[in-house]
Amino acid sequence: MNFDLDEGQLDFASMAKKFFSANAGPGAARALLDGGTDYKPGLKQIAELGFYGITVPESAGGIGQSMLDLAVVAEQAGHALASPSMVTAARAAVLLDGQDELLAALVDGSKRFAVVDGAAPSIDAAYADTFLAMDGTSLVVGSGSVQAGEAIDPTRGLATVILEETTVLREDAVALWDRARLAALIAMAAEDLGMASAALEMGVDYANTREVFGRKIGSYQAVKHPLVDVYVGVEQLRSLVWWAAWTFDNDPAEAQLAASAAKAQAAQVGELATETLIQVHGGIGFTWEHDAHLFWRRAKVDRLLLGDATEHFDRVAELTLEAV
Amino acid sequence: MDFDDTPEEAQYRTRVREYLKDHRDDLVSGGRYGDATKQDMQHSQAVLFDGGFMGIGWPKEFGGQGGTPIQQAIVSQESARAGVAGPINSIGMGMCGPTVIAHGSAEQHERYLKRLLRADDVWCQLFSEPASGSDLAALRTSAVREADGNWRINGQKVWTTGAQFSDYGIVLTRTDPSMPKHKGLTMFVVDMHAPGVTVRPLKQMSGRSQFNEVYFDDVIIDDAERLGEVNDGWRVALTTLMNERVNVGGGGSDLGIGLDVLAGELKRRMGDLPESRKVLYKQDLGKVVVDTLATRYTGFRVLSKISKGEAPGPEASAGKLSGTRAAKNGADLGVRMQGNDGLFASATDGADFQQTQAQLPGLAIAGGTNEVLRNIIGERVLGLPPDMRNDKAKPFSEGVRS
Repeated sequence: MNFDLDEGQLDFASMAKKFFSANAGPGAARALLDGGTDYKPGLKQIAELGFYGITVPESAGGIGQSMLDLAVVAEQAGHALASPSMVTAARAAVLLDGQDELLAALVDGSKRFAVVDGAAPSIDAAYADTFLAMDGTSLVVGSGSVQAGEAIDPTRGLATVILEETTVLREDAVALWDRARLAALIAMAAEDLGMASAALEMGVDYANTREVFGRKIGSYQAVKHPLVDVYVGVEQLRSLVWWAAWTFDNDPAEAQLAASAAKAQAAQVGELATETLIQVHGGIGFTWEHDAHLFWRRAKVDRLLLGDATEHFDRVAELTLEAV
Repeated sequence: MDFDDTPEEAQYRTRVREYLKDHRDDLVSGGRYGDATKQDMQHSQAVLFDGGFMGIGWPKEFGGQGGTPIQQAIVSQESARAGVAGPINSIGMGMCGPTVIAHGSAEQHERYLKRLLRADDVWCQLFSEPASGSDLAALRTSAVREADGNWRINGQKVWTTGAQFSDYGIVLTRTDPSMPKHKGLTMFVVDMHAPGVTVRPLKQMSGRSQFNEVYFDDVIIDDAERLGEVNDGWRVALTTLMNERVNVGGGGSDLGIGLDVLAGELKRRMGDLPESRKVLYKQDLGKVVVDTLATRYTGFRVLSKISKGEAPGPEASAGKLSGTRAAKNGADLGVRMQGNDGLFASATDGADFQQTQAQLPGLAIAGGTNEVLRNIIGERVLGLPPDMRNDKAKPFSEGVRS
């Protein structure tokens, strides 16, 4: 057993960290919230680095790497509240399996994909031009009209989609759709891992700086211990994300359990991390001016996307009961 | 990344599994504190030693196997799978032995280590005292040097797991109260059968007696039994505590009730439950499973680091924080599922959830309270400032005593 990233993955993560922190981040998220339309880093830039083709085979223009490689990049995307999401890249890559032309368009960013779950608001749909959806048991692709509501977290590009002209890509696509959904769960849990890590780092920085009653607030156990609980939750989430990503490629029988466990943990840790971030900051923490709420917004939205924690705890319980 | 056994690991696993099967009649079943006698437990460990499955990570020169942490994990997994009880000397092997290896003399290595691995001698760790639990360095058990160079020990230890059947212990004492509290300490190996040593089992809230009070009244310890330098006992103790960290909840093994047992219980009762209960219990089960898996896989990450030769850092303590929570919630679900039987100390069908419920509060305290572990992670991993202290610099004899 070897449960750690390899050197290639660590390099990949560090490259992704540089890219996303330079080209996205709280400033860009705030601009969107204030009415801007500039999604950062934006599909074009992400595609140029090849990040939308991490799990796409080389024969279709991708770089043919594993879900774990995608997850380490997604973590950094989440850390910087980047859009569009690596969730779309992970999910579309599975759905478009064998469709080399469409895959090439996913990889180079010439088509802006979103994956639609029926009437539920879909990630990256607000700025998409090509939609993937199920029609009965068939996978379809086509155009659609989008309606975005007033967003809690505008970096997610959430919108409801009414499909217009579609063509069937594949009949009998239920199993493929389910597998693509697992990829989406893992990628989102990975992005939430980054988001929660960022919230923890900001909270720790502040606790190391701010002084009250003559000493730094991080020296008080009432502040220190909640931050440690976030740390433990974040490290547990990291373990589940890595494990789930590994099972996706190497142990499909366990992948459903692992992906649901990761998504449920992500929903809970995202909230814990960002609410702790606000609490540690005190008064400044709940102002519009402070960045804390940008991460809190992501947590409040992600926890409900692709099934909330209740749904995934239930799934985990079902799978555990089936196994005994 | 790879969770599968390598060919060598798979081969090793087969060897362990077959050995356990072939020697099943010689091996004690179930929990470490079951009804088995000391003699049976010692025999059980000796059989495992003879198979080459004790002291796996210890160097060969000390009677160990010079093996890997993964091999150690495989033996633990296969023992659990076969229902074989944990070894009687788990504290000896996990904490006392590594301390003797690191700080003992060649004579001590020769005298103790192989016998410890075979459980010819059982060991305990004599650290905590009535007035020094979390604040370990506040301990008062004194060691005073005699004219002949040997030491006279007086004082009381408490929460000493396994002292009632131990032959030796490592005891942390105060040798110079005029020094600051962390400075004037010295560690010794003590013969638990020596004149002046009195062991009194403590009955815990669970009704069981796993640990003890130990009294030292003018116990004489030969200077040759000292571990490390005089007044350097804190550094020696840190070796022990570092090892304890990995031993409790850090290596990817689950605490409390097994997930299969818990899920089996829910499945069995499912048919009789009203729909609203089913929904709630399934949610609770899902939460316990996720927390347990998250703890288990975080433990595997620690294990992977150790097998690459990295020392187990303070982050290993995270596993105890989340593991004790998951175990508590699991036992709680188990007890609630008993319905009216949950009101009594044991269920009519013999399920063990109540006993586990009464055991688990102790686990959040033993081996470093969860609060102390949070301080350690907060300060050593996250880099947060330490709490204000007024006890570190002045002589222990002038300090505030609780």
